[in-house]
Amino acid sequence: MKERIHKDVIIIGAGMAGLTAALYCGRMNLDTLVLENGIIGGQIANATDIENFPGFISVKGGDLIATLQQQAENFGAIIDEFDEIEHVTLKSSPKIIETQEKIYECDVVIIASGMNRRKLPLPEEKKFAGRGVHYCQLCDGAAYNGKIIAVMGGGNAAVDAANFLTKYGQKVYLIHRSEFRADEVSQKRLRANKKVEIMLQTEIKALRGDKRLEEVEIFDKKSGETKTLHVDGIFVNIGVVPNTKLFEDELKLTASGRIPAGEDCKTEIEGVFAAGDVREKEIRQLTTAASDGTTAALLAEKYLSKLKG
Amino acid sequence: MVKVYSFEGCPYCDKVKKYLAARGIAYEVHDIEENPEDAAECQRISGDLTVPVTTIDGKNFVLGFDKKKIDELLATA
Repeated sequence: MKERIHKDVIIIGAGMAGLTAALYCGRMNLDTLVLENGIIGGQIANATDIENFPGFISVKGGDLIATLQQQAENFGAIIDEFDEIEHVTLKSSPKIIETQEKIYECDVVIIASGMNRRKLPLPEEKKFAGRGVHYCQLCDGAAYNGKIIAVMGGGNAAVDAANFLTKYGQKVYLIHRSEFRADEVSQKRLRANKKVEIMLQTEIKALRGDKRLEEVEIFDKKSGETKTLHVDGIFVNIGVVPNTKLFEDELKLTASGRIPAGEDCKTEIEGVFAAGDVREKEIRQLTTAASDGTTAALLAEKYLSKLKG
Repeated sequence: MVKVYSFEGCPYCDKVKKYLAARGIAYEVHDIEENPEDAAECQRISGDLTVPVTTIDGKNFVLGFDKKKIDELLATA
């Protein structure tokens, strides 16, 4: 039988929003638990050089997150990255979070579950996943030392990945179906690298190979030509999808799968807050995730004070 | 002895190491970026250089972080 444990606040997700909320909750002496099913830091753990977080000229995502984790833990927040959440009940009082090993009861839930990488929408994806198709350049980049690499995508994450992978690849293609969405600064850095060949307005139509990826079929939208490109590995950075599957039965979600909540991060259920990229909002940046984490924690404390009289 | 084929800065490699440490299990780190012999051995075990690769006997292994599979692997020791 699973052990039952009560907490004031449970934060789901240990990215920038979740850890900031944990830091604030910890400082307000709230009994706080953070549960993370993936890796601490979320998307930002993968970022190699962050140059738009105030106070840092340039910082590695992993270093920034490690410091924030330490800050939150110093103020008493507990972070569990191994015990996976199986089910949540948010409308009850107390709220219930059931993990593989325990049943947690709590008064406040802050959902900061962030986003997951969008999978490559080709039928061959499953065949080549981990065998030439990858989603984490920090984890799998070293396997491509001296090889030919392609990065798919045109946003900041894709350009960041391509810049990082030039450390390993003898050649790095950046393939994107439309125009760049990445910051000018990152684009400029990528264009200056002689190992990089940028292919915009180009779609990847098929993946081929025997046991692992050997080549991709690409379609140049400008010329109408279809070509075959030899690549040893492709790193997919074609956007993200909200990590809200756990909450589908509990909360109404927007058309994009995010949680509707205003700037106060309050959801339709009292005591349940949504913070960071998982919340429906126009701007999703590291700074706005930190802002959401702060807001959710401070308003969670107000809610708890009222609840406890 | 549990061996973790990994390299510095790989988030899921760190997660495997933290999990083993949390369970009080001693392990050896084999850095595939620093040591070509370790890279070759990792490739021999899993057929690829994708990490983390966790193994005890050099035959059975777990690729990535999968708590259930790592627990099963440890139970064979």
